[in-house]
Amino acid sequence: MNTRRMVSLGLLILILLISGCAGTTSSEKTKTLTLWYWNRSLDDELIKSVEQKFPGIRINAQKIGGDFKSKLKTTLAAGSGGPDIVAFNDWVAELFTSSDRFYDLYELGAKEIEPDFLDWKWKLGVTPEGSMIALPIDTGPTALYYRADLFEEAGLPSEPDDVYAQINTWDQYFEAGLKLQEHFDNKVKMLDNITNIYTQINAQSDHIYFAEDGSFIGESPESSMKTAWDTAVTASQMKLSANTTTSSSEWNAAMNNGRIASFVGAVWMKEILMQAAPDTSGKWKVARAPGGDGNNGGSFLAIMKTSKYPQEAFDVMKYIQNPENQVQSFKKINLFPSATEALDAPVMKETEEFFGNQATGEVFSESARNVKPAYFGGKYANLNGIVNRELSSVALEGKNPDKAWKDALARVKKELLR
Amino acid sequence: MDNPLLNHTPVEHKPVPKKSKSQDRLSAQIWKHRKEYLAISPFYILFAIFGLFPIAFSMFLSFQKWDGIGEMTFNGLNNYQFMLTDPEFWRAVGNTLLIWIYSTIPMLFIALVVAFLLNASFVRFRTFFRIGYFLPNVTSLVAVAIVFGTVFSNNYGLLNYILSLFGLNSVEWLNKTWGIQLAISVMVIWRWAGYNAIIYLAGLQSIPTVLYEAAKIDGASGIQSFFKITIPNLRPIILFTVITSTIGGMQIFTEPQVLVGNDGGVSGGGLTIVLYLYREAFVNNYFGYGAAVGWGMFVLIALFSIVNWKMVQGNPSND
Repeated sequence: MNTRRMVSLGLLILILLISGCAGTTSSEKTKTLTLWYWNRSLDDELIKSVEQKFPGIRINAQKIGGDFKSKLKTTLAAGSGGPDIVAFNDWVAELFTSSDRFYDLYELGAKEIEPDFLDWKWKLGVTPEGSMIALPIDTGPTALYYRADLFEEAGLPSEPDDVYAQINTWDQYFEAGLKLQEHFDNKVKMLDNITNIYTQINAQSDHIYFAEDGSFIGESPESSMKTAWDTAVTASQMKLSANTTTSSSEWNAAMNNGRIASFVGAVWMKEILMQAAPDTSGKWKVARAPGGDGNNGGSFLAIMKTSKYPQEAFDVMKYIQNPENQVQSFKKINLFPSATEALDAPVMKETEEFFGNQATGEVFSESARNVKPAYFGGKYANLNGIVNRELSSVALEGKNPDKAWKDALARVKKELLR
Repeated sequence: MDNPLLNHTPVEHKPVPKKSKSQDRLSAQIWKHRKEYLAISPFYILFAIFGLFPIAFSMFLSFQKWDGIGEMTFNGLNNYQFMLTDPEFWRAVGNTLLIWIYSTIPMLFIALVVAFLLNASFVRFRTFFRIGYFLPNVTSLVAVAIVFGTVFSNNYGLLNYILSLFGLNSVEWLNKTWGIQLAISVMVIWRWAGYNAIIYLAGLQSIPTVLYEAAKIDGASGIQSFFKITIPNLRPIILFTVITSTIGGMQIFTEPQVLVGNDGGVSGGGLTIVLYLYREAFVNNYFGYGAAVGWGMFVLIALFSIVNWKMVQGNPSND
């Protein structure tokens, strides 16, 4: 009897150990806050400094690798075992339907710091019902990256201010593209791919696919969807695109070999470009984008409802995201600030060698100030995927644009019914 | 079980009802062998948790509408209906079948030839070659896909460089449906030909040499003995490799995902069934639908395995 009992007890303990029930031994007096983030979404040293700033709080910072969103959703589905503080990427709107799983930050004192932040960015973390589930981390203001040397050679304006003054609309941009490609005998293309054009025009808009009540507005005139589509198709028909997927190995090679003269991209494309095209250092410059200022991506912090210390968690988040720390994070790991004060920091005026000693921070700050607030909706990514697939067919397989548009709309409507 | 027919069967005469008696006996048997059952229990416990439960749960999930976080709502057969009427699903099925055909047939042929050569007496450094052919199989799939991605790259790829050496125009491999499918198939062939060759080799070595000697005495040529002795004796092994390659081929995922992304590349040329499942469940958050696609795939694989089995076993020349 005894041996049997011991064996089964041993097995039970083994199973408990395997299933990970161990590890909840927080019997200390200090309050432990678990934080989930991904590499380079926050400054590691800043996280370490929290414990000095808040005695009595221990930060258990966990870098979640792989598919962050899937892991978060699995945890939410399980209903327990999640962190206190969790980072969100630009898919924040996908979690609006589950906003009851997160603390409303307005109830924890978020109203006080609201004026410190960029209005449009702040609103991205607020649900249509008015509860605030996510505090801004960084932003991704967009601008036109262009090869100043190639522009100059082709007789186009090459200084950022002149480029912005003369290449202000997409039409002007495409015309400049024709001129440039003619000069280089089509060996250089004006832009990288047309799905990026589509994305960027929508990023400059305040009405994309959904109204705040969740209804589809893609076919109404206020929406940018059709304009973005038509403009992207025009770029393809004018043969301005090099048809290389952004940050693919093809794209990297084309950038480094000087086969692409410009593209519109967010501030975080700087690092991608610098790594992709080291041979072109000093030849790039950045100007305000044709068509207006926009935003791509940018992340957030939220507090899970399962957290025992929501107020402490919010105070820590407030500290991490205060304007001074945002400036530090920008200096260290290039997280572009979401706090208005940080946009005026001296670091924004520092010149960069890769960009011909231009202070690109000034351009991006100006862009960040002028982004229009937009509502994305939970199915933004699904719809974007559908349209991008059809656009690729137009660009790469010569599919009839009208048929592609009809197919895209039909597919979108099917998707909306699911 | 009071069927009168059963009364004719010679049952031991006992006043106790039959059913509870046999139950008693069963539990007594289990109790008697409790140590043995305890000893084999870890497998069954782990299988129930990590094998049986997910299967049962995915069956349940396939009738639900679930975004992964919120409430599940019963969805009836809607997921299955959507699947059967979705052109992209059928496109994924078609792509998977094409890639399977492009890859499996050359792969098994190459494997057979390699195995035959490795088994031949004139080959030296045999162990070296065996390891060499098997090595691709243990290489990281993601690394392989990245390397093949640069080989087939549209403008700066190795393949296009070789074409340019011969003065030929470059081909935008990864911008074409067939190009994507070809690249994926080549990857599968490269990775699995050696593995199957090793299995064939084991099969070849189990064929008694007396058969070949007898055939030689009767005046059979090399080709005759290959088709009359080698192939028939290898048939069960060929069946095994065909079925495993079918199951593997139906589940191709990492190759297209790393090579051309979650959408399967230009107009979805590399969109396989599993990639479609992954996209719908984990990118578009239709987890219930993803589960339904999983069951659709189960049916397809079962059908194909039966067809394969019939085809390979069908020839009655096997004695």
